[in-house]
Amino acid sequence: MPSGEYFTSYEDRMGLLRWRIEYVAFALGLPIPLLAPFVMTGQLVSVFTLVFIFIIGVLGLHVMLSYAGEIVLAQGVFMGIGAYTASRIINELALGILPAMLIAGLVTAFIALVFGLPAWRVKGFYVAISTLALQFIAIQFFFRRSEFAVIHGGTQQSLPSNIGLVTDVITIGSATEEYFFAFVVMVVFAVLTMNLSRTGIGRMFRALHENDLSAQVLGINRFRNKLMAYAIGGFMVGVSGALYAIYIGFITPEFYSIDITLLQYVMLLLGGMGRVWGVILGVTTVELLNHYLLETLINAFPEATALEPVFFGVIIIVVLIVEPKGIMAALGQLKEYLRKWPYAY
Amino acid sequence: MVDVGALFSVLVTGIGVGALYSLIAIGFSLIYKITGVLNFAQGQFALLGAFLVVTLSTSLPLWMFDVQVPVVAALILTVLIGAALGLLLERFVFRYFIGEPVLSVIIVTLAFLSIIDGGVRFFISSQYRAYPDALQPDWSVSLPFDTAVQAPFVLGVVLALLTVAGLMAFFRYTVMGSILRASASDQQAAMVLGVSIERTIVVAWALSIAITSIGGILLAMSSGGAGFTIGDVTILVFAAVVFGGLDSIPGAFIGGLVVGVLRQFGVYLEEFLMPGLDSVLPMVFLLVVIMVMPYGLFGTERIERL
Repeated sequence: MPSGEYFTSYEDRMGLLRWRIEYVAFALGLPIPLLAPFVMTGQLVSVFTLVFIFIIGVLGLHVMLSYAGEIVLAQGVFMGIGAYTASRIINELALGILPAMLIAGLVTAFIALVFGLPAWRVKGFYVAISTLALQFIAIQFFFRRSEFAVIHGGTQQSLPSNIGLVTDVITIGSATEEYFFAFVVMVVFAVLTMNLSRTGIGRMFRALHENDLSAQVLGINRFRNKLMAYAIGGFMVGVSGALYAIYIGFITPEFYSIDITLLQYVMLLLGGMGRVWGVILGVTTVELLNHYLLETLINAFPEATALEPVFFGVIIIVVLIVEPKGIMAALGQLKEYLRKWPYAY
Repeated sequence: MVDVGALFSVLVTGIGVGALYSLIAIGFSLIYKITGVLNFAQGQFALLGAFLVVTLSTSLPLWMFDVQVPVVAALILTVLIGAALGLLLERFVFRYFIGEPVLSVIIVTLAFLSIIDGGVRFFISSQYRAYPDALQPDWSVSLPFDTAVQAPFVLGVVLALLTVAGLMAFFRYTVMGSILRASASDQQAAMVLGVSIERTIVVAWALSIAITSIGGILLAMSSGGAGFTIGDVTILVFAAVVFGGLDSIPGAFIGGLVVGVLRQFGVYLEEFLMPGLDSVLPMVFLLVVIMVMPYGLFGTERIERL
């Protein structure tokens, strides 16, 4: 980095695009995801749609975990609630994707608030245990029992393949349309999350994460802010669950088990906690890895698909041992190395 | 009209099942007490033990030979493999996470959850495996009110009591035990006094996984064979240890019994209300305990300072 302070105003200092090279990168990089679906194979387009959907969900986890520091192990339930809500709204009320997404997000945010209530007394791994217990109740009991069909509307549901944005205006059906829709929603949430970290709320979350006792001494209401983090994060995960349901076109409680929670943790940790770019990188890496790994495994040993979770487990342990801060930190080190190259310092 | 006999049988069976849970819970809180690792894969270690016994004693595809180990040898081998696994885990994985944040450790144990689950499905069996006859004792102990306790539950109660007593004595009267206690209460001070922390952690892991696999085997015996539902015991174990206090071994024992009784009570209630209550009741109990008394019965309360 060149020496000297280059920023002369607060807006320059806190801007999302600060350096000239960032403007250039933005201008050159923006067309890539917009043009990509016309170049890529259909399979890859669908993989990237899934990537965008998961980015939204992991951004929600990112708000709860990296900003507010709550180890929430209920990602599966949050996605499930979003999915079931969206499915009911699309199937029974036929309101279209956008209202379904919003209402799914709001319902999930409300349930996430309820899940966050133990934060009143406890923190750290007690939060992990209590959210895991709630996940267990919701997925193993609530969504599986047809007695509750009045609320969740049936254990297994399917969604139509062509759905309008609002009622039946502008239908989203083909893979390319789904790709662009997921991309736009993803960008909106990514920018919102980036901005959240620059607001007072984001700073309060961070303060509580770093040292909640000191933050409380400084007059920050711990319980209220933790609940706010649950609500914001839950909203995003709910939206992601709604999109996931629309993408797959079918919902069943098995999709929303602890496995999907674990997968999203892998994505977040691999990318690097604390940065939106880390989330984007992590989700993309894991999904592409998943795609190619599964392809190779099926080609090489057709019966070895059970080994996939084993590979994932091993990858996450190796990553945590070698580079606990994730790909973002590794890239930063690479940048430092290249800047000084060929000298050592 | 409440049937006293039925309730008594719920209580007795509950204590029997609970003793099996408490064995696994003891393994859990042993590890937590000494290393501070919160093992989310405890149920999977029990699962591994349960499946290893049936594989070792029925068919062991050792390259070309089909080796059959006698049942008793298989049991002993499984416990030994469990202990060895504990050694390896500590040496190659958990040693790197000393002093890392809680989150990393939790994620590592979650990764083990999926590694063991997938590994057992691929290398051993992806289906339910019935136990050989020698591992399905058909005797039972009769009690008043026409209730009888199945053999695995009797064994479980006896073994759990023995384990608790043994561990308490081990911690109190042996040198290794006091070293473990010392490093549990203050790692740095123990290190200064010449205690090898690595070795104590190794011992803790080996003991924990050995006890857990005994619990897993008994759990499988009580249902006639090894199935993947054993892995779900993790969340019940959480309920047990949180109630007893996370770092207390007698607490884990009592917590296990309470969870077992609650679970059987849920089975009893299913007739009147709806199925599935047996797994929900312990969860609700866990949530209430977390909200009302997070440090449990015998757990050490943490006092935080700025």
